Amino acid sequence: MIEQTASTTREQRLAQTFVELADTLVDDFDVVDFLHTLVERCVELLDVSEAGLLLADSSGALQVMAASNERAHVLELFQLQNEEGPCLDCYNDGEPVYSENIADDTGRWPSFAAAAMEAGFQSVQALPMRLRSEVFGALNLFSTGLGRVTDQDESTGQALADVATIGLVQERLLSEAEATTHQLQGALNSRVVVEQAKGVIAEQSTVDMDEAFARLRSYARNHNRRLSEVAREVITGTINARALTAD
Amino acid sequence: MARERRQRVLSAIANSDGTSPVTEHLCLAAVDLAGVTGAAISLMSGADTEATVWATDGIRNVEELQYTLGEGPGIDAHHTGNSVLVPDLRQVTAWPAFAPSAMEAGVTATFCFPLQIGAAGIGTINLYRDEAGPLDRDQLADSVMLADVATQVVLGLQAESPPEELHQLLSQRPDWHWPVHQATGMVAVQLHVELPEALLRLRAHAYANDRRLGDVAADVVARRLRLEADA
Repeated sequence: MIEQTASTTREQRLAQTFVELADTLVDDFDVVDFLHTLVERCVELLDVSEAGLLLADSSGALQVMAASNERAHVLELFQLQNEEGPCLDCYNDGEPVYSENIADDTGRWPSFAAAAMEAGFQSVQALPMRLRSEVFGALNLFSTGLGRVTDQDESTGQALADVATIGLVQERLLSEAEATTHQLQGALNSRVVVEQAKGVIAEQSTVDMDEAFARLRSYARNHNRRLSEVAREVITGTINARALTAD
Repeated sequence: MARERRQRVLSAIANSDGTSPVTEHLCLAAVDLAGVTGAAISLMSGADTEATVWATDGIRNVEELQYTLGEGPGIDAHHTGNSVLVPDLRQVTAWPAFAPSAMEAGVTATFCFPLQIGAAGIGTINLYRDEAGPLDRDQLADSVMLADVATQVVLGLQAESPPEELHQLLSQRPDWHWPVHQATGMVAVQLHVELPEALLRLRAHAYANDRRLGDVAADVVARRLRLEADA
């Protein structure tokens, strides 16, 4: 009975977590907040002591993006995995990596194993943050106890890692797309301004559009200025349209 | 499910009859998927800046009507970031200038989808149909997905352009809209008014004389028409 209640509570909490994370994805997305929530929930919902999320930067180096424990020795434990460790292996292979007893893996990861045991951890698991064929980083889970996380915990952990990946990819895509959108609007506005300036010149100097454009472009070139900037000044009268020539 | 839909939409774009610009393919695919009579893609920025990138045969007039009149379901879709679905223009009270003119041009239903990335909108894809009636569920979902694809295509094209320059495929029909801005400049000088006022005067003249804004602009640019100060 008690077991059932505990498991229901956990299920509810898990469901709540996914809803919370999904909500963040839709509304004003705050990457830092999102990742922090994620690692906190990992520690709460899975049978682990600490969790950390590492992402690869543009040069491929793993950076700690969020950790359940900010204490220096714990953070360092994540950070040094740039050289060796379960996270690095996980990131390189795109597959889960684990150690049921870190003391047995001093050959595999000499520096990491020493540091982890010094910090009081006996087992570790790394789950890939991966979307199709691309790996973005790893979710790192530490435990003071021995052994592997249960299958259920591993799949929950992986699901949380997947949600994190989707959120990050979406945010990255959105940022890139928004940058291009601004560029598009800028280009459209610039073009319109240039056309308007052509009209102003054409009317003030009684010339056709081709001649008007030639004069505009000539001024821009001679003064080493952007066409749209010159156009704006013709419109406001800062540049005297009548004084423009095509040479 | 979404993946299948995306495949279907992409196939429709690839298989459409257009001879080359991808913008034409997008419009023809929209017509095919939604079962409508015509489609147009227009870019918009700010209040008065728009450029119709492509319109299927016979649709250009109706599409431009929105920009001539400064009102319409596409403009609303762009401003609100939500699609505007009008299964029957006869039943609406919105757009008192656009609706009757559109109907006169043979359009009874229109469905306008914003081209949107996050909070930023770059324009719309507008569908027009001669007969009244809603889009069915699949047509609607396909159209939304097509708008999504169109947004990515447009942004993709622009990403390849140098900054400050509209991609060639996005400014392919210079005769359609640049004369409006040229005419705006000319009228601003002629009437000694600011540019927004000049555009308003051009629009008012077009509406009052039941002419397309583009045609009025062409006349102004060719000096066949000069707006009077008290027009």
